[in-house]
Amino acid sequence: MISRPTPSHTFHRLFIHAALLVTCFATIFPLLWMVTAAFTPNDLILAKAVRFWPDDPTLSNFMIAASRHPIWIWLWNSFLTATLITIGKLILAVPAGYAFGRMEFPGRQALFWFIIATMSFPTVIAIIPTYIAVVKLQAVDSYGAMIIPSIPYIGFYVFYMRQAFRSLPSSIFEAAKIDGANLWRQFIEIAVPNVIPAIAALSVISFMGAWNIYLWGQLVLDDAFKKTLTTGIATFADLEGADRAWGPLMATSLLSILPVLLVFLSAQRFIVDALAPGIDEK
Amino acid sequence: MRLKFRSLAPYLFVGPAVLSVAVFLYGPLIASVLLSLVDWNLLSSDIRFIGPDNYTSVLENADFRLSAWNTLLYCVVLIPAEIILPLILALMLHSVRKSPVQAIYRSSLFLPTIVAFSVAGVAWSWLFNPVNGLLNEILGFFGLPPSRWHTDPDLALLCVCVVTFWKTFGLNMLLWLAALANLPPVLREASQLDGASARLHFFTISLPLMTPTAFFISVTTFFHVLDDIVGVIDVLTHGGPAGRSSSIVYYLWQQGLQFFQFGPASAVAVIIIVLVLAITWLQFRIGEKRVHYR
Repeated sequence: MISRPTPSHTFHRLFIHAALLVTCFATIFPLLWMVTAAFTPNDLILAKAVRFWPDDPTLSNFMIAASRHPIWIWLWNSFLTATLITIGKLILAVPAGYAFGRMEFPGRQALFWFIIATMSFPTVIAIIPTYIAVVKLQAVDSYGAMIIPSIPYIGFYVFYMRQAFRSLPSSIFEAAKIDGANLWRQFIEIAVPNVIPAIAALSVISFMGAWNIYLWGQLVLDDAFKKTLTTGIATFADLEGADRAWGPLMATSLLSILPVLLVFLSAQRFIVDALAPGIDEK
Repeated sequence: MRLKFRSLAPYLFVGPAVLSVAVFLYGPLIASVLLSLVDWNLLSSDIRFIGPDNYTSVLENADFRLSAWNTLLYCVVLIPAEIILPLILALMLHSVRKSPVQAIYRSSLFLPTIVAFSVAGVAWSWLFNPVNGLLNEILGFFGLPPSRWHTDPDLALLCVCVVTFWKTFGLNMLLWLAALANLPPVLREASQLDGASARLHFFTISLPLMTPTAFFISVTTFFHVLDDIVGVIDVLTHGGPAGRSSSIVYYLWQQGLQFFQFGPASAVAVIIIVLVLAITWLQFRIGEKRVHYR
């Protein structure tokens, strides 16, 4: 090979590592501060602009936040809505992706584009009529109002599942047909088990997205006990105004990051791999 | 009977997806077109057809014009930034792919992408905070006067850009990284044998091979920018000061859901959808000529 390490090569590598280190530090800094502030007593927080370890570490911020707002109920609501939205998206997108990827039928192309085109709709476009419908149905502050309209944003999911099912070898289906498996059994017993990584990747992406739904939640969740963490935090931040209770606010924010962070870290290899195909071969 | 089941089966598989999209996405779209032609609010029972009046009143409205101008600025700043800077980061990450710390770099850079807009707003309003906020401390360190950041009319839009970029660049970075990882390594070895520099190799070999990704990223970034700035504006500036950081989508949001001006807001929605469709069509026209599929 030509590329043996030369002094200039080593210098180049060192430079890239240094640049990445600085960028990473700058990127996570706002969140790092959030973590240290969450464990620092509220009256000490504004004393300095930079700290890398909590001063006088305490859990009091979590206690104060919990005494002012139902943050544990918000946590539960976030879990519930994110999980149900994810299940809903998969129930719609997986069978559709299978049919588009592996079945021949009249109108296939047109129906596929009918769904894919929705990827280009800004989310706000549907908000006004949907909100009017929610108000008319007297469904404000219900989980249904939060969950159901959030499910049909499935353009990317259908596209992605179609690619996943397409990439399966036909031979596994031939064998099943010879054994007399009907279409449903071919789907459930052969196709789905072979695309579990794709389904897992989409579940993670959907869960993280649904966990962080903000604008729609702001609109339909008004009751303090129905809010999710992300919408609750915004109310919390607004109410406190200029003299923000930074500590409790940071504690609640940290609480909202931790679950998605755990999901992301445990599945990150998946997500990186999952994003690669699909785009390359149309 | 068996034949009939077979011919119906595909529609049973795609039916729920098609129906839900029709009801919850296309339905509101059509409803927006209808709402944009009438004078109506939630409380009144009479609906009056007024034709294009909502459109003319919106287009003449100074706040709308300001927000349209701002949207152009947002696109000019954010779209190139969200395409090029993640590519540079991905190239750097790719070049250290054999190092054990690559995964740590990658996750740290992706971290802001997984937090909610409200959390991003909280974190950054501290950084921008006039009392002891980090950014003013840094200015002070260099002997510069403190800034009002997102509450300064001339800086608000830029602050929204910075926070939006911070919050969203991770996804494009991962997409570029995946595309780089998919390039066959023999190509680089071959061009090295021919004595091509890394830069020449990148622009003549790697980038043309990554045009499908580049195309996907440029189309989706346009949609994302429109959507994402709304979240940041709502948590950071509320469109202020004096509308200087508002965008057309945020204007729609305020008119429709804070002031309940459904007619004008729906007119804005229709204008946005027409704009998005036009630009998407243009992107596909350009894409057809430039994208090389393998």
